[in-house]
Parts: sequence; structure tokens; C-alpha cells
Amino acid sequence: MTQWAVELREVKKTYRTGPIEVPALRGLSLRIAPGEFVATAGPSGSGKTTLLNIIGGLDRADSGEIWVAGKNLQLLSSGDLSELRLLRIGFVFQTYNLLPVLTAFENAEFTLLLQGMPAAQRKARVEKLFSEIGLAGLEHRRPAELSGGQQQRVAVARAMVTEPALILADEPTANLDSASAIALLDVMEHLNRATGTTFIFSTHDPQVLERAHRMIRLQDGQIVSDDTRISRTPDAREATRSA
Amino acid sequence: MTALALGLGLALLLVSLGLLDGGHEQTIADGVRFGPGHVVIQAKGYQDTNSDELLLPARIVSTITDFLQTPNMKRLVRGVSPRLLATGLLSSSANSSGVRIMGVIPLHERAVSLIPQRMIAGTYLTNDNNLTGVVLGDDLARKLEVKIGSKVVLMTQALVPPNTAGKDGSGDEMESTLLRVNGIFRTGLQAVDANIIQVQLPAAQTLLGIADGQVTLVALLLDREGDSPLVARALRKQLAADPVEVLTWRQSIPMLAQILELDHAFNYIMNGVILAMVGLGILNTILMRVLERRYEFGVCKAVGLRPGQLAIMIIGESLALTSISLLLGLALGLSIEHYFASSGLDLRLLFRAGLPPALVFDPILYSRLSLNRIIWSVGIVFMMATVISFYPAFKAARTELPDALKVL
Repeated sequence: MTQWAVELREVKKTYRTGPIEVPALRGLSLRIAPGEFVATAGPSGSGKTTLLNIIGGLDRADSGEIWVAGKNLQLLSSGDLSELRLLRIGFVFQTYNLLPVLTAFENAEFTLLLQGMPAAQRKARVEKLFSEIGLAGLEHRRPAELSGGQQQRVAVARAMVTEPALILADEPTANLDSASAIALLDVMEHLNRATGTTFIFSTHDPQVLERAHRMIRLQDGQIVSDDTRISRTPDAREATRSA
Repeated sequence: MTALALGLGLALLLVSLGLLDGGHEQTIADGVRFGPGHVVIQAKGYQDTNSDELLLPARIVSTITDFLQTPNMKRLVRGVSPRLLATGLLSSSANSSGVRIMGVIPLHERAVSLIPQRMIAGTYLTNDNNLTGVVLGDDLARKLEVKIGSKVVLMTQALVPPNTAGKDGSGDEMESTLLRVNGIFRTGLQAVDANIIQVQLPAAQTLLGIADGQVTLVALLLDREGDSPLVARALRKQLAADPVEVLTWRQSIPMLAQILELDHAFNYIMNGVILAMVGLGILNTILMRVLERRYEFGVCKAVGLRPGQLAIMIIGESLALTSISLLLGLALGLSIEHYFASSGLDLRLLFRAGLPPALVFDPILYSRLSLNRIIWSVGIVFMMATVISFYPAFKAARTELPDALKVL
């Protein structure tokens, strides 16, 4: 039986502010195979960010099941979710969310440090990745000394460096100019093809949507369309066929 | 700010404890030297009755003196002074005043009492054949309008121990003697300066009709106050068969002991308040730092830092900060303490109108800080800072995702 990279079953999430309730996800079900390069699109408030946060264990659903890497996130403790993120999931945020006191190299290295990897291995892995995604020579700069595109690439490096099975990117190009956005997408697509890492990202950007292999449209917390635009990786095709 | 608060807190604590301990040590030293010494041997019942007729026989005084010459005792005892006490009336050509007569052997008294060191005019008594000399306090000298060389008349009733009182009424005789003012002292203690006079022991014995070398008490000054119970125990054992009481200064001057206990308690409360203030400062600073770093913690948790690891990280940071702060505080506190230990704190600068006589007799207060006190202070501040860091660490560990990531 195929194990999905991500599987959601009837997931509901409602935000409450005093008496006001705002449903973000209304019984959403979804399956994403390993190696897919998936975009989620939709208007603001459609539930894109909530969906990514719940898949990544940053937020908890009110009900339903969320399976990632064979684990039901609803049953995991806060510590277990942290460990899952550390070992299996990478995050790329719209606002980069780099630690300002650390250099580009240290930001990327941080997750490896948490994993307890020896310094020499950490150095080798980060340097290799920096070279692949065009960050060579910027290792010692702090985030404030980098452009938006460079910061986002450092964020991608931080997400990728642990070689996770899944990378979640919330509007990764929203703060970038066109050239930087294209360069970042090139990096992400290259890593997806080269390593088989599953990418799920949310976006409003048409040129990002254009590059997605599968596009899931959300509206009012529900999936309104789910289109496969480009054939998936062999693994993904096999997984979908088996399912 | 946290480092400063912690460092200053420890420095303040060390200086406060040093002055407190120094003050107490000085108060005890002065108190026993103006009073009956670290250990006093007197006739049984004297402490409760204060009856001047209760005297120590010369035989017991000899036993005490011999015992204190043994090697074990000799190394602990700095001075031994037999004293004969009585009340009398001292008159000059101008005035009269009731006085407490203290008959002493000058050379011995010098080794025990502070009075010989507090002469402001004339000289203290000497062990010569001149038995007519008297030293008195400056308050009394002023009242009697006497100066060095002035003649005074001391009148008193002859002492007769109860078991020797004659049926014929002997012992009720009034005796008087002419004395010449040899020296005037000032201790700063009104009770001493206005009441005490010291004369040669043989002169006092003659005046009081005591022929066989009896005294009221034997005062001992030790090298270390802490040895008082040990010496008292040894003397009690040695004099078990005799009708005497051997008291440490805590028993013979209970009021001084109680005042010091009270002062200790008050100072512990004050130190508690200092620690609480420092503690609240630390808590506030660490908590503020944790709240300011909410975003940072959010990112750390988002990329996989476990809540427990985050808490340990905060506690570790606090411990590192605490260690550095305590080193700085230790350096600062010990420097100030060293200054007060060598140069002293002149209380006359604080009490221009006059020193309160209750506790401190010497106006210059010298700090004394033991290694135990330093270890205790550093330990308690370290423990406090560590315990206080638990709450901010707990708070950091509970950083809520994804909300914390929005703060930027």
C-alpha cells in the first residue's frame, strides 16, 4: 500500500475571536504523493496558509485526520511535532523568518545543529547546498545584508539542508521581484527533481502557478479544483495509480 | 540590565553582610570588654541577685588562675581580671554622686577591659604602691567638677558575706577613703561614663573590709568569641565542687545577646528584601527578554526545536548570564568589602548628632566577611536566579505557533 506524503481527511479548522467564529477549513480532504510539486491557490482567506500550517504541525485542526510521513499529527504532542518538523518537514515562509543574529550560513546550519550533526558534516552539507542554489560567497552575511531573493534562498537552504521529505512554502515569492521569484522557483523545481522532495506551496503569483505540476484551488476553506498540469515524478505517478 | 541587577544585588548583599558581621563582631568585642568578658566566674546566685555580698574566696580565684595556666586553656585565654564590685558615694568639693566601685589589678584589667584604652585625660591606674588613685568617666568628672589630681572622697558600706555577718552588727559600718583622680575615660556609654570608677583592688578590699583576698568575679577575655562555651564548660567541670557560676557572655549579658539576635533577624529580613528586589528585577528582565524574543523562539520551534530544548536553552542562557554577573558582583562586592574591612565605615559621618549607644561602641565599623558567608551569598543568588529563570523558560517553551511567527 502506498504511503502518501500528505493525507488529510475531513479536516476542519475554525478561528475564534470572542464570539466571532471564522471557519478556515471546512472538512477538507486531500492526498499528495511523494515527490509532487503542488501549488495551492485561492483568494485571501481561502485557507491556504491554514492548510500549510496544519500540514506542518504549526497549528492544530479542530477535527479530522492529518497524516504526514505515516503519522497522524492530531495525536502527536507538541514535542513530537517539533521533532517531525526537524526530521521530515522544511518550511519556507513568506517573510523568510531567518534569525537576524545569525549569518546566512548559521541560519542554514541551525537545523542540522538541532539534529546533532557533527560540525564538519554540517559545514560540508551547507556549503554544497549554498553552491547549488547560488548562495556561495554570501555565507557570512547576516539577513539584513542580503536582498529579499537571497534571504528567501537562505530560507530554502534552511528548509532543504536536512533533506526532508516534505517542504511547505507559504507564498515564497510574495516579497520578491520577478527575476528573484523565477530564480527561486528554478531552485525549488531543481531540488524537487533532483531529490524527489515533495513541495507544497501557496501563492497568488500567476508565474508560480504556471510552474506548479499540480494546482489545488481553495475557496472558503474547501477545495474547488484540483488539477494536475504536468506529469508528476515517477514516484508520484505510481502512488496515484496505486491509490 | 540583568547582569547589572544580579551583580549589584550580590555586591550589595556581600557589603551588607560584611558590615553586619563586622558590626556584630565589634559589638560583642566591645560589649564583653566593657562588661564581664567572654566568660565570667562569680559566686553562685550573683547573676540573679546582683548582691555584692556574694564573693569568690581567694582559694577559688587561685584555682581558676592555676587552671587557666594549663596549656589547653592558656592558648585560648588572652586576659584574666579579678574584680571586686560594690556601690558607694563619691564626693568632691562641688558635688556627690552614687557610683559603682570596681576594684581591679591594673595590669590584669588592661588585658581584659577597654576602659584603660579610653583614657582622655591623665593615666590609667598602675601596679605601684599608690593605692589612692581612681579613674572615672568623663560624665561623672563633669558632674563632680573634678580634673586630674583633684581629691575625692569615696564612701561605702563594708561588705560582709552573709555567712560571716556578726550578731553584733559588724559589717554595717560606713567606710570612707580619700582618693585622687588619676585619669578620666570616655567610652561613649553613658552608663559606664557616669557611674563606673576603678580603684586598685587592695584599696577596694581594704575599704570594703575584705581581708582575705575575696573578689566578686573573675572576667576572662578570649582570643576567639566562639571559644566561650568551650572555656566555660571546662571551668564548670573544674569548679564543679565549688559554689560558683560560670557564664558565657550570652548568659552574663543576655540583653546584648538578645539585641544581637534581634538585629540578626532584622538584617535577615532586610537581606531577604534586597534578594526579593533583585529577584523581581531579574524576573522582569528575563521575562521581557523572552517576550521580546517571541519571534525568534517561534522560528526556532517552527524549524524543529522542541519546547523542552527551548526551555533548557533559556535556563542555560540565564545560568551563563548569572555566572558572569556573579563574577562581576563578587569582584565589586569584595572590593568594597575590602575597603570597609581595612579603612572601615566611619559612622560619625552618618550620625552627626551622636551615635546610638545600644549596639556599636566604636564609631568606625569594620567589615568582616567569612568564606562561608561569601559561598552562602553566591550560592543563594545563583539558586535564586536559576529558579527565577524557570518561569520565563516555561513561558518560552509555550510559545504559540504560528502566531509567534507573525511578529516581526
